[in-house]
Amino acid sequence: MINVRDGGLDKLGLLFERYKRPLFGFFYGMNKDQELSDDLVQNTFYRVMKYRHLFRGDGEFKTWLFHIARNVRHDHFRKEKIKGKDPVEDWEHKLGHSENKSEEMQHDEEHMMLNLAMDRLSPEKREVLLLSKYQEKKYKEIGEILGCTEGAVKVKVFRALQDLKGVYEKLEKQM
Amino acid sequence: MEKKGVEELIAKYNEGLADPAEIHELERLIEEGIVPLTALSNLSQLDDRMMAVPDAQPSMEVDNRFYTMLREEQRKASKSTFSFQWPAWSVLAPRLAFGVVLLIAGFAGGYWMNKPQEKDDVASLTREVTDLKEMVMLSLLEKESATDRLKAVSLTSEMNQASKKVTEALIKTLNEDGNVNVRLAALDALRPYVRESNVRESIIRSIANQSSPMVQVALAELMVELQEKKSVKELRKLLEEEATPKDVKERIEESIQVLI
Repeated sequence: MINVRDGGLDKLGLLFERYKRPLFGFFYGMNKDQELSDDLVQNTFYRVMKYRHLFRGDGEFKTWLFHIARNVRHDHFRKEKIKGKDPVEDWEHKLGHSENKSEEMQHDEEHMMLNLAMDRLSPEKREVLLLSKYQEKKYKEIGEILGCTEGAVKVKVFRALQDLKGVYEKLEKQM
Repeated sequence: MEKKGVEELIAKYNEGLADPAEIHELERLIEEGIVPLTALSNLSQLDDRMMAVPDAQPSMEVDNRFYTMLREEQRKASKSTFSFQWPAWSVLAPRLAFGVVLLIAGFAGGYWMNKPQEKDDVASLTREVTDLKEMVMLSLLEKESATDRLKAVSLTSEMNQASKKVTEALIKTLNEDGNVNVRLAALDALRPYVRESNVRESIIRSIANQSSPMVQVALAELMVELQEKKSVKELRKLLEEEATPKDVKERIEESIQVLI
């Protein structure tokens, strides 16, 4: 990234190739919308390119990237709120996607159930678990993204996992 | 809390017997880094299972949009790579005068030489686009997905003149790629460069390495088309191979007959 910041724009392609999947996984995990997640990945890299001179180089690029990704997501939902998008239409859209998703995942019940359980968590808890996954449990870095201490992140992950476990067990009983 | 007490609390939690007050205490210990999350076995198992859930994949559209955006930005960056700051007037005046003189000289020079500068700009832009395509192509070739690698190979057809790096990557693909379609596409992409002796020799050397009948036949046909007599020795090696199918052997035999 330091190369990109200092003018080697062509290296941004390599960063894109390395991080587009985890970034997409994060967005998709949050909104379950393929098209929207594609857009958000694009917007995040647009900001990386535009604000590349602001990368200080004292931390990991991935941490900086997810920091931007969170802002992109928040900005998107703030705009949607202002536009007053029809909530019913939005839900239909989401339902359509989750049906497709469950069809895709039928061959793997456990993964499907975990995904369903994740969807039922609050956005804050889902976010901290997704960050834990895509930041490979580096709680200090997650703390930098969320603006809290490493210890606080661990507690957030603990609470989110507890909830996930509760929802997962309920789903298991229903099956 | 003593070590023993902490261990007891963890054991109680793992058995699902901890009450809210004990869970609260556990949170404090986690926050202080005394209890790692991995010690909570059933939670950490769930965490590991979640880590193993396969990720959804972004669409190819994301790639297209990103690389279009990057090209556009590179074009802009190459146009404006200087920054400007107003200097003091005393410094500026002679510079301005010098600038005006240069401008007039430039106009005069331009008038006499009558060669537009644009040509250079276009050439450098073309070079940049080619470099970018090369970079994309080389990175796509490393992908696990055969579709991506096919896309990489097809990108070379958009290049007016591929560099040595690209032809070497294509030859490596022809020799080593696990997918027959990708190898065939690489052979096809190498066609415009067969006049280069090193490319031609690498293709000939590749004949004996190929195990797929389709690639073997395609190579034999190309050799006939090129009237490449040096390939006969390599083609004969395929005839000697027991694994080569009978039909393929017949086709190769025909090719050898044409060549000698």
